[in-house]
Amino acid sequence: MSETATPEAPDATGSERSALTDSRFLAWALAGLVLFAVEAPALVTFVVGFLADAIAAFPTSYAATAADFLVGIERAAIDLPTLLSRDLVPNQGYWNGEQWVGTFLGLSPAVSWAIRVALVYAYAFAFLGWFAAGYELYRRRYRTADWTPRDDVVDRFRGHSWGKFGLVVVFLFVTMAVFAPTLGPTTVDQNMRDSYSYEMQYWNADAQEVQTTLVGEANRNSQSAGDSANVGPLSYDDYGRYHPFGTMPTGSDLFTFIVVGSRISLIIGVLSVALSALLATSLALVSAYYKGRVDLSLVLLSDAVMAMPQLLLLIMLSTVLAETWIGGIYSGGFVLALIFAGTGWTYMWRSVRGPALQVSERSWIDAARSFGQTPTTIMRQHMLPYVTGYLLIYGSMTLGGAIISIAGLSYLGLGVAPPTPEWGRAINLGQDYVATGSWHISLIPGVLITIVVTGFNALGDGIRDAIDPQSDSATGEAAGRGGGA
Amino acid sequence: MSRLKYLAKRVLMMIPVVWLGASMTWFIIFMGPIDPAARLLSEGQTRNPAAYERAQEQLGLNQPPLQHYMDWMWNLITFDLGQTWLLYQGSSVNALILDFLPRTLFLGFWSVLVAVLVGVPLGFYAGMRSNTVMDYVASMGGIVWRAMPNFWLAIMLLVLLQNSEAYFFGFNWQTFGVNLDALTGAPDMSRLASVDGFLAATKKVLPAALVLGSASMGNEMRIGRTAVLEVKNQEYVDLARAKGVSDRAIVWKHIFRNALIPLVPVITSEAFLLIGGSVLVETVFGINGIGWLFYRAAIQGDLPLVGSLMYIFILMIVGVNLLQDVLYTFIDPRVGLEGN
Repeated sequence: MSETATPEAPDATGSERSALTDSRFLAWALAGLVLFAVEAPALVTFVVGFLADAIAAFPTSYAATAADFLVGIERAAIDLPTLLSRDLVPNQGYWNGEQWVGTFLGLSPAVSWAIRVALVYAYAFAFLGWFAAGYELYRRRYRTADWTPRDDVVDRFRGHSWGKFGLVVVFLFVTMAVFAPTLGPTTVDQNMRDSYSYEMQYWNADAQEVQTTLVGEANRNSQSAGDSANVGPLSYDDYGRYHPFGTMPTGSDLFTFIVVGSRISLIIGVLSVALSALLATSLALVSAYYKGRVDLSLVLLSDAVMAMPQLLLLIMLSTVLAETWIGGIYSGGFVLALIFAGTGWTYMWRSVRGPALQVSERSWIDAARSFGQTPTTIMRQHMLPYVTGYLLIYGSMTLGGAIISIAGLSYLGLGVAPPTPEWGRAINLGQDYVATGSWHISLIPGVLITIVVTGFNALGDGIRDAIDPQSDSATGEAAGRGGGA
Repeated sequence: MSRLKYLAKRVLMMIPVVWLGASMTWFIIFMGPIDPAARLLSEGQTRNPAAYERAQEQLGLNQPPLQHYMDWMWNLITFDLGQTWLLYQGSSVNALILDFLPRTLFLGFWSVLVAVLVGVPLGFYAGMRSNTVMDYVASMGGIVWRAMPNFWLAIMLLVLLQNSEAYFFGFNWQTFGVNLDALTGAPDMSRLASVDGFLAATKKVLPAALVLGSASMGNEMRIGRTAVLEVKNQEYVDLARAKGVSDRAIVWKHIFRNALIPLVPVITSEAFLLIGGSVLVETVFGINGIGWLFYRAAIQGDLPLVGSLMYIFILMIVGVNLLQDVLYTFIDPRVGLEGN
């Protein structure tokens, strides 16, 4: 007991638990440091680049100066050695008649690229393992309590293989989005944005010599447009470039397009889910606390928003907001996230309102009220902790739905503005070639969307069963569908 | 009596929902960052002040906003939806909706039917034989089926059907049963009364209906399975069995009827998805229904038409909600007896 323990006579187990000089903790901290150090420049580049983009979105002269300054830092950080960079394991080289030049250790571009991808995923899983080990260490050795209710949730999730499958799929997808620039066999700039500004060397088999050409020119000759011209998955084009998923009708690399596209899907998805979770929780707490008329008016409001089909509302709002300054941020992705949050909170609100109403009936709420606590404190401290778990469930499912909707909108040519890659646009571009040799352009993005959405749904299922094993498995169905896209 | 009261209450609740939805639509379109009048005019006309003023006047935008709002709402209530500006220029919106809506309704009808006829039996089957291989296959299939993007599924299905002869060992979908001139395009709604015409129109929308119903099919399967599993272990089923009720009667009278209750809200809530998804599916299959009309109006900038169509969509969804409540009172006798 803490009352009996004095500084002069410390409790033996307590001091052991709080000792941060423990060898196991040191090993864990060291591993973390190593993991961080090998990727530190990339992290700095990402954060600074993101800030620069965010600041540049504000149309003032100060913002431009600040953005320039940040871009300077970004340039400096790029030159530092990083484990998972294109420079350390390059895959863009050429065949000089005898061997590969410019690739990793003289290996073929395909093998070099595969090594880099393997390295990225090994790193990601090492990070995941490090995180899990840290949690385990904390739970077994440092936490004062032997057991908390959350332990049961975690343990139940561990025994849920379907949920774990979802977690792995989601983790693979997130890794893909985070390391997008490293994973692609080529860069976005070279691939589609500015391909005529880059030169490349290749082995001309007819002339039996190494020649130089523009990347854009090479792309133009590696198009996938039906049976006559096709560069399929897992194959090389005539310029010795490897295309894991083949090329697109423009001749750019599909894999690069997809990994970069995963980033925008994930960012819009996470942003919109976070915003709608915020909105849904606050409104659910308000309606559960005040009940009566407040609740009724919120029911009517959410019914009215739900009466407008989400996809149609998305189409309408993205047309109306397309030409405003807010519509230009992040290729229209930001306004898309806002629209998603504005239309999608209703589904989440409906599912959180039930649990919130149940909590509001409990005696501790009455007790807190008679104790004189303010409504906001009661909502935050005594109600919120009981509904956050449900947010995770619907958040996971809504994210899957958001990915489908974003893809559906860009299939229609709305939402994310070209040339920013988006999976739905790849499906649209390849639509005419599905029955031909260039089937990969539409098929692969669609299969990937299916897998990722299944993963998010499975994760949601797993979390639900972990949080509330008695709940019926029928909740949250509409959330994972993205308004019918 | 209490059931009637319950239904009356639900009808009453719909009025503010429609009003709120229509008001939000008005606000987005007429108070948003885009000037609907300028959007309707071509480049040259925008610079012509006379043409611009004429457009503003016809839209009523030269009035104070409140007056415009009242007029617009009144026009919606009386279904005086005016005429189109860009799409099918100058035709009456009412006539356009009456022309396009039946195709979407026909598509929606079949997609609900396909989903119910495939999803529910599969789910009940999986539930009755839970934890068998067939159950796992069916459940897994339902989960993956749900996660597929509709528009992508539509493209893939279309390709499969177009080349059905090569993929399905000589089975040709296009000439199977009723001969179709093209796989995509609108169903011929004028000959629905004749058997031949009905079959042709049905065959035309069937692939689209399958795609549109895909999400609902997966959901219905899953919920059907859970419902059967739950009902199967209820005490009244055991009691019926102990009384010597035949297996057939137990399944049909005691299990299925009760398992249907959680399915009703699923089937009707799918209406949201059907109406929303109709835009993409109609675009891929080239069916010129109301969802397609909405999409064309939105991208061409005919915002007044977008607003009117949104009102129709709101009415449709609210109508489906009402239908759900009516069905509920039929299936579940407890509705309305316990307050809510």
